[in-house]
Amino acid sequence: MAVDEHRAPRTTESDDARRLVKARRPGFGIGLLKGMAVTLKHLFKHNTVIQYPDEKQDLSSRTRGVIALKEENCTVCMLCARECPDWCIYIDSHKETLAPKREGGRPRKRNILDRFAIDYALCMYCGICVEVCPYDALFWSREFEYAEYDIRELTHEKEKLSDWMASVLPPPALEEGAEYPGSPTRAPEVADGAAAPVKPVQAEASDAAAGTPERRGAQAAPLGTGGRPADAGAPKEAKPDVGPVPGRQAEAAPAPEGAEPAAAEAPPVQEEEQQAAPSQEQAPGPEPTAEDHAGPGGRTETASPEVLGIQMGAEPASPSPRESTETASPEVLGIQMGAEPASPSPRESTETPSPEVLGIQMGGGPAPSPGAGEDAVGAPEEAETRTPQEGPDPEEVARLQETPGPNVEVPNEEPKPTALDPTEDPKEVYEAVLSDQLAKGSSPEVAEARAKVARVKAERGIARNPGVATKEDS
Amino acid sequence: MFDITLATWQILVIKIIVILTVVPVGALVGGYAEHKVMAHLQHRLGPMYPGGFHGWATTLADGIKFLYKEDIIPAAADRKVFSLAPAAIMVPIIMTYLVIPIDRALIVEDLDVGIFYLLAVGSLSTIGLLMAGWSSANKYALIGALRSAAQLIAYELPIVLAAVVVAMLAGSLSLIDIVETQNWPFAIWPPGIGFIAFLLFTVGAVAEMTRVPFDMPVAESEIITGPFTEYSGMRYIFAHMFAEMGHMVAFGGIGATLFLGGYQPIVPIPFLDFIPGVIWFSAKTMFMIFLFLWIRPTFPRVREDQLQKFAWKFLIPVGLALVLVTGAWVLYV
Repeated sequence: MAVDEHRAPRTTESDDARRLVKARRPGFGIGLLKGMAVTLKHLFKHNTVIQYPDEKQDLSSRTRGVIALKEENCTVCMLCARECPDWCIYIDSHKETLAPKREGGRPRKRNILDRFAIDYALCMYCGICVEVCPYDALFWSREFEYAEYDIRELTHEKEKLSDWMASVLPPPALEEGAEYPGSPTRAPEVADGAAAPVKPVQAEASDAAAGTPERRGAQAAPLGTGGRPADAGAPKEAKPDVGPVPGRQAEAAPAPEGAEPAAAEAPPVQEEEQQAAPSQEQAPGPEPTAEDHAGPGGRTETASPEVLGIQMGAEPASPSPRESTETASPEVLGIQMGAEPASPSPRESTETPSPEVLGIQMGGGPAPSPGAGEDAVGAPEEAETRTPQEGPDPEEVARLQETPGPNVEVPNEEPKPTALDPTEDPKEVYEAVLSDQLAKGSSPEVAEARAKVARVKAERGIARNPGVATKEDS
Repeated sequence: MFDITLATWQILVIKIIVILTVVPVGALVGGYAEHKVMAHLQHRLGPMYPGGFHGWATTLADGIKFLYKEDIIPAAADRKVFSLAPAAIMVPIIMTYLVIPIDRALIVEDLDVGIFYLLAVGSLSTIGLLMAGWSSANKYALIGALRSAAQLIAYELPIVLAAVVVAMLAGSLSLIDIVETQNWPFAIWPPGIGFIAFLLFTVGAVAEMTRVPFDMPVAESEIITGPFTEYSGMRYIFAHMFAEMGHMVAFGGIGATLFLGGYQPIVPIPFLDFIPGVIWFSAKTMFMIFLFLWIRPTFPRVREDQLQKFAWKFLIPVGLALVLVTGAWVLYV
C-alpha cells in the first residue's frame, strides 16, 4: 500500500511534467506570437464601447437602478420599512376617516401617505422592499443618474420616487403556457366549502353561531368587498328586521344573476322572495320594491355590501337551480340559509322576532330586540324617513347587476371609496393637475401620468385632497 | 539645386530649430498614437474628447497641463542634480535625431560614424536616470535608477551587437551608406541573419525605452515611477513623458533606417520609386512605433531577474553568435 501511495503522486507529477513539456514544445516564442495575434485581432474588432454621457446603454429590463414608488398603490402597511435591512425607508402617514360608503354605513378609515423617502446613501439595493410590497407600490427602475453633491440630498422623497415610475418598464410577458396569475384556481374548493355545509347547518340550526350567511361569505371571499367576516358591526348596522334578508339573498341571489333564472322561476322560492325579501337582483327597477316593501327599503342600502360580498364569494359555489329545487320547503331553505325563518321581514320588522330566528339571522349575536336597531348607525326612523323616496339606490342596483358573474377577482378589489366631492369634473381635474405638475417641473410624461391618475380618481369620485374633504376623526 | 548660400551658423540655427520642432511634435504624436493604438488593441476607444476629433489634442493638452503644474523639489533632494537630470535624460534623446536620414538629403548631419554616434549617445541617458534617482533622496527613485542603469547597460549590448551586424553587412558606419546598401531591407536579406538582428534590436529597444514588458525601472505597482517619483510638472514630462515618447520615435527611426531600408522602397522595384523617400521613411518608422505599441498591451511585465537573465544569458550570446555568422556571410557569400 505504501508503495502505491508513494507511486500515485509520482505518476501525476510526471504527467504534469510531460504535459508541461508538451505545452512548451511548439517552440520558443510561439506563445509570444500568439499573444501578439490576440491583441492584433482586437485592433480590428468592432469596438463596442459606449461613450456614456453622449450615448446611453440600453440597460436590461431587470436593472436594479433605483426604487420607484407608485404612490397610489401604497397603503402605508410599513412592510417595506420593516423589512429593509438598512432601515433606509422613511414613511409618515396619518389616518383619515372617510364618510361611510352609503348612508348608515360604518365610517371608513384610510391611511394617507405623507412621506415616503428612501435614503440612497444607505440603501444597498437588495430589493427586499420591492419584493415584500404586497400592493405593487415599489418597483425597480432602470434610472441610475441621481447622484447628488451632498449625501443628505440622497434621501429622495416620494415626489422624486414617483417621478421614477415613469421609467419603470411594464412587467415582462408571461411565458408560453404559463398559468395566468388571476385565474380562480381555488374556486372548486370554495364551491365545496359552501355547498357542503347544507346538512351541518341544518343540524346546528339552533346553534346561533353556525352557518350564517356572513360566515359563509367570509369563507368564500375573505377579502371580499362587503363580505367581511361576520363581525358584529355589519349586522348591527343593518336594521334588525333586515338582517335576514341579505342572508336569504346571499344564497338566493346567484340564482337569477349568476346562473339561469331557474331559482327565481321556481314557484316556492319566488313566492318567498316576493313576499319576504324582494331582492334587488330580481327587481328590474327600484319601483316595485320601494312601493311594496317600504320597510326593507333601508335594508337594501345597508345590506348591499354583504349581499355583494356573499354573492361574489358564494356564487360559484352555489349551483342555485339545484338548491332551489332541493330546498323547496321554506323551513329547510330557511335553516340552510340561516335566515329563512326571518324572511317575512316586512311584517316582522314591526314585531319582535323570536329569539332563535334572530339569533340565526344575526350570525351569532344575542337575540336583538328592535332596540338593537336603534343604536345601530342607520336608525330605523332615519331609514323609514328616506326609504320611500330612495328605495334601493338605483346606482347600487346597477352596480350589482353589472357585477360580473363567475369572476372571482372582484372581491379582491379594494373597497371603493364613496364620492366625496362629486362636483369635481374629471376633465378639469386632469387639466389642473397637468398644469400644476408641469409648473412644478415634472417631465411631461410624468405630469401626464399623474393627471391621468387624478382624472381616474375624479371619475371614481375620490377627491384630490381627501384630507380636506372629510376629516372627521372619530 | 538652390542658389541660396547660408553661413555655417545660419545652417546650424535652422537645423537646431528643425530638431527642436521635430522632437516635441514627434513625442506628442507618438504619445497620442500610444493612447489610441493601445486603446484599440485592448478593445477600447482611448481619449475621445480633447480637440474634438477623436481626442487628437490629448497629449497637447496633457503637455500644457504639465507646464502649468507646480515644480516641486523635495527638501532633501540634491537640488542641482535633481534639476539637471531631466536635461541629462532629454538631451541625448534629442541628439539621436541628428543622424537619422529622413531622405537622401534630409539629414541634419551625415556623420561617417553615424551608427557609433547613435549607440554612444543612446547610453548617455543612463547617467541622467541615475542622477534623477540619486538626487531625489527617495528609496523608490533610487531603486528605480539602479534598475534602470542595470537594464540599460544589459540591453545596450544586444542593440550594439545588432548594429554591428548591420554595419558589417553595409560595410559602413554612416547611416546614409547603410540605407543605400539596402536594396532589400536587412530585415529580409540576408535571410535569417538580418531578421534575427532586427528582433535583437527590437527587444533591446523596448528595454532601452523601459517599456512593457521591460519596465521594471518604472514599475508603478512596486516603485511608483522609479527615478521620476519625485518629479512633477515640466521636469516630469521632460524626464519621463517626452523622453519616453521621443525615445520611441527615435528608436522607430533608427530601426527603420538600420533594418527596413530607411527612405528606400521596401522592395527594389523601380515602379515604387515615385513615392518620395520621406513617405517610405515615415511609413517604416510608424510600423516600428506600432510594433512597440503593440508589444506593450500584449505582454505582462518581466521580473527583474528574468529580465537580466534574458539579456545576459540569451540575447547577448545570440548577438555574439550572430556577429560570427554575419562575418562568415560577409566573407563567403
